[in-house]
Amino acid sequence: MAMTRGPGGGYVQRSGSSGLYEILDLLLDKGLVIDVFLRVSLVGIELLTVDARIVIASVDTYLRFAEAVNRLDLGNSEGEGLPDLVQDITEGGAESKSRGVLEGAKNALFGSDDEDEESEEESSDSGSGSRSRSRSRSGSSSRSRASRGRQS
Amino acid sequence: MAEYVYGILEPAATAPAASGIAGAPLRVVGGDGAAALVSDVPAGELRFGREELLTHSRVLEAAIADGTVLPMRFGVVMEPTEVRKRLLESHGEALRAQLHELAGKVEMSVRVLYEEQPLMRGLVAQHREIAELRDRVALQAPDATYYERIRLGELVAEALERRREADAAELLEELSAVSLAVNVGASTHERVALSASFLVRRDGQDAFDETLERQAAARRDLMRFKCVGPLPPHSFVDLAAAV
Repeated sequence: MAMTRGPGGGYVQRSGSSGLYEILDLLLDKGLVIDVFLRVSLVGIELLTVDARIVIASVDTYLRFAEAVNRLDLGNSEGEGLPDLVQDITEGGAESKSRGVLEGAKNALFGSDDEDEESEEESSDSGSGSRSRSRSRSGSSSRSRASRGRQS
Repeated sequence: MAEYVYGILEPAATAPAASGIAGAPLRVVGGDGAAALVSDVPAGELRFGREELLTHSRVLEAAIADGTVLPMRFGVVMEPTEVRKRLLESHGEALRAQLHELAGKVEMSVRVLYEEQPLMRGLVAQHREIAELRDRVALQAPDATYYERIRLGELVAEALERRREADAAELLEELSAVSLAVNVGASTHERVALSASFLVRRDGQDAFDETLERQAAARRDLMRFKCVGPLPPHSFVDLAAAV
């Protein structure tokens, strides 16, 4: 995919508030939260704390990596690549263990109708059930480190 | 009737010019140390979808254009008396402190993704073990190389993880210099080099953007940069921490 310059001449891809997909994590996972008795269902999915999202490196993952480096030889097109997260979910990667409330929400909300810019990252079919390798997350929000920057 | 709570405002704030969920009017309640921005919703079980998420997001965007707002997580619905007692009164001091702390500050959400081909080429070029194993695998039929391919993939995964850690550290160093705080998310996908939110002063946003642009330009052969903002400070509010 060519690195094209944006309208302002920059390389950073920007979305405004209409980029709902980009900030879904922030809306569902961050922000002030308080125990409430009244419960809101997000398209049928309970809005409880996000499940621990333990993603395990697997044989599937390794085989896909091997395929990715092997493909380099054949000079394959950009179209084939590691599946995007959206792709993983909408393809319903059969044994994906990485599904939590948040990803279930994305799937339910965006499904196949999504015209969001994320779709430009979607590659063509990879076929195999997909998992991504990452650190585990537990508790009510992503494992995140808040730290102080140097600007004062 | 119940109240859907979008966020916390300064005591003297007025409701922003926007509609709430299902077109209901916004209003501001409470007002000692902090006020809540709410709209009426039916009591009982509520099923919300994309539309309500969009409304929630837009209300907060409108609110932060007017002044400071502490965003609620999506889906906080309370009885009116609860809003005043359990939210505003019980947490009054914490909310007031955060309103003060976050005045004039916004969130920039940054995601940096690897381009797969350059990434893989780089890993092969940088790791002899990977290149040699790949060459051996290429010489044989696939069904003869199942275990070697797993080993190859494992080497790639390890090299990728080290690469990501190094790249993320560099990016964080650069962007921390032009921000007040950072909240780093877990990388949920192989191709994510960095996923992080930065707290930036409004008058520091140009410096942040310039630094981000510089990084994006310098790394354009390998990475794609995405940025959303300025946003209300979703990642930098917390009721528990300030108690």
